[in-house]
Amino acid sequence: MQLQTRKVLDKAFSGLGLVAIAVMAVALLLILAPIMWRGSKAYVFKGTIEHRRVMLEQFDRGNPERFNKETAEAVAARAPLYDMMNAFEAELKEMDRSKRRDYKAAFKEVEKNIEVLLGPAPGDRKPVLLRQQYGQTRWDRSLVKLHETLYSEEWDYSNPDAMGVLVEKPRIDQFRGTALEPLFPYLEEHIEAMLRPRTTFYWQFITDTSKDSHIFGGIWAEVLGTIYLTLGAMLFAVPMGVVAAIYLCEYAKEGRVISFLRICISTLAGVPSIVFGLFGLAFFLNTIHVSDSKSVLAGSLTLSLLILPTIIRSSEEAILAVPRSYKEAALGLGAGRWHTVLTVILPAALPGILTGIVISMGRAAGETAPIIFTAAVSVGAPLKIWETLNQPTPALPWNIYNLCTEHEAVDEIRHVQYGMVFTLVAIVLLLNLTAILMRARISKKLRG
Amino acid sequence: MSKSANTSLIMSDAASRKQRIGTLLGQSVLFLITSLSTFAVFFIFYFILKDAVPFFKLEGFKEFFTSVRWYPSGSPAEFGALPIFVGTGLVTLGAIVVAVPLGIAAAVCLSDLLPFHLRQIVKPVIEVLAAIPSVAYGFFALVVFAPMLQNHGGAILSAGAWIVLGPILGLMVIVLGDLAIDKLRKFMNPKLAGALVFPLLGGLSLLLITRVAAQLSGLEISSGTNAFNVAVILGIMALPTVVSVSEDALQAAGRELREGSYALGATRAETIIKTVIPASVSGILAAVILGVMRAIGETMVVWMASGNASRIPEPWYNVLQPIRTLTATIAGDMGEADHVTGSSRFHVLFAMAFCLLAFSFIMNLASELIVKRSRKKLGK
Repeated sequence: MQLQTRKVLDKAFSGLGLVAIAVMAVALLLILAPIMWRGSKAYVFKGTIEHRRVMLEQFDRGNPERFNKETAEAVAARAPLYDMMNAFEAELKEMDRSKRRDYKAAFKEVEKNIEVLLGPAPGDRKPVLLRQQYGQTRWDRSLVKLHETLYSEEWDYSNPDAMGVLVEKPRIDQFRGTALEPLFPYLEEHIEAMLRPRTTFYWQFITDTSKDSHIFGGIWAEVLGTIYLTLGAMLFAVPMGVVAAIYLCEYAKEGRVISFLRICISTLAGVPSIVFGLFGLAFFLNTIHVSDSKSVLAGSLTLSLLILPTIIRSSEEAILAVPRSYKEAALGLGAGRWHTVLTVILPAALPGILTGIVISMGRAAGETAPIIFTAAVSVGAPLKIWETLNQPTPALPWNIYNLCTEHEAVDEIRHVQYGMVFTLVAIVLLLNLTAILMRARISKKLRG
Repeated sequence: MSKSANTSLIMSDAASRKQRIGTLLGQSVLFLITSLSTFAVFFIFYFILKDAVPFFKLEGFKEFFTSVRWYPSGSPAEFGALPIFVGTGLVTLGAIVVAVPLGIAAAVCLSDLLPFHLRQIVKPVIEVLAAIPSVAYGFFALVVFAPMLQNHGGAILSAGAWIVLGPILGLMVIVLGDLAIDKLRKFMNPKLAGALVFPLLGGLSLLLITRVAAQLSGLEISSGTNAFNVAVILGIMALPTVVSVSEDALQAAGRELREGSYALGATRAETIIKTVIPASVSGILAAVILGVMRAIGETMVVWMASGNASRIPEPWYNVLQPIRTLTATIAGDMGEADHVTGSSRFHVLFAMAFCLLAFSFIMNLASELIVKRSRKKLGK
């Protein structure tokens, strides 16, 4: 090969490596960006007056006087709308039966759409379902609903060769020449006065319980469930893991038994998470009956087995990183082995051990498969601490799955789904950030 | 202990015995706690097997592994899990195709190419990729990636073809062109040959890429939740494992080996390809195995975004069709099967879990063995 080509190849090879790194970084960015951007909109968004109504009536939050003043203005803006509808209803009654039938269905649809947009009309009976008692709480959803009110969607099959095409038709065309005609331009023009959007910082999203299966409110039950499960798992896994690491590093003599132990630990690390879930169901629930039904306790125990190998490994690494001279000095001063471990080696290894613990906390918080059969339910109230022994809990990872696949109004609550994912990812990344910073400090200390 | 040591340095026999027993007792307690993970492994095997055996007793092996009809709730129920195995294999294969080349290239870059301070920036990227919960990946696959694939599938695929084929064909053009110039040296001036050969090869490969991209951009993807979607996401999820394990392997190859190669006049690329990678091939193999295990054991992403259709794609390598995997079946069907504890429908899920468990156990042993052997070979 020519020298020239070899040099070019060398450059190209380096380029390939850099491309791989770049692809990885771009993938990370592409995945995180929508989650972060749209997830943050669960916390900061343009809230309408309906949002403030929900806050006031359901969560007792906000200034009633200011709210009432604002409501009065909104009601004033909405009044002509309802007047037009009433006028049209009167007009309907005057019409021939055949003509009336044409209008009636279309009018029903408009009425329903406006109810979804603005909430129940004044004077109507209070609906039973909470979600029907309020209009759109978010400005972005309001605009979608406004569009649905202004335009109807129809399938156009006029071309027999192609598939049907969805076309939008302005609803106003259905009501030309009636009392309802001015309603549409009025609605479009005054929507802001009717809903009064305002940038809202809803940080209570994380501490509010959900109302009417996540249509309103926040995600506290899920967050709390995740915290319980994670802390519970740490409660079991940390003592076991750290003790095992101490034994493996300081006491065990390398031999058949120990290498068998190590193989078991790595096997445990390789067991698929869903198998842990099945095991938790078969062992903790169906065999030793830690609780009658799914419970946080059973979930925590299952999760603790899952993170045990990680904790053992990272603690081992941290203990091995303690300089040999420390140990020798302690032994030389006459301290016993156990004494040395407790007073010299553990304190020196503590930051490293903590780093491993923090990372496995993130892992435990995000795992879904092990808790499906052992701890998670779709709907539930935040648990008291003693209830964790025998009651299942909603948890962030499970409810993310549940809300985006099984919820009856998947598209309506995208913001809640994104908000949940954002919260979970933020929790996990914060934990990891802590670990990274801690490790940086340790390596600085060891170097300096 | 310190009190008695203070009063007299010589211990009585009784005290000495007591201390020895105490030490022994303490050590055995420590040992017991350590062997907890051994118990856990045995318990997992035992309890999964215990609930899996009734299925094979009731239904036998043949249908489970060979039939393509999966109707666990029908009457009579049918438990042909072959499509589920094929689906699992297909997405795992896809994930490997994504993760292994990228992962190894990134590992080489991290261990040999990047300067130290840049490495400190890249490492957290990998750590964050590893830390993102699987359900977040699944959410991304279902809510963001699947609609994107459905609406702009052709464009995404052809862009992917450019990204993948571009660098590979570029390198091939350089190598082939150089070889051709060597051959033509007898007949003409190398510069002239280069001016002839490179445009020719470059044009040909450009033509190839545009043809492939055009083919792909014409594709209509009927459902965004399919094997391709899952394979890409699983590949990204398996990347951190592949990168970090194979980087360790590359590092372990040692400085002397590299310096020897440089001293013989090899360029960096030649050193890495001809010396470092062959020396650490077993470690890289272990990395690939661990990546496979990560992909095969993943539940949430496949459950959410694979389409969960239990049939073999037509033809079998068509990744644009929905598939179903073992993990997703276990997760999805347990909710219904839970009420009928004791039926084949319940036990079949444990049979699947046992297959997964056995597979990951064998893979894990294999990777352990490989790593151990390579350590011996490198003399460490």
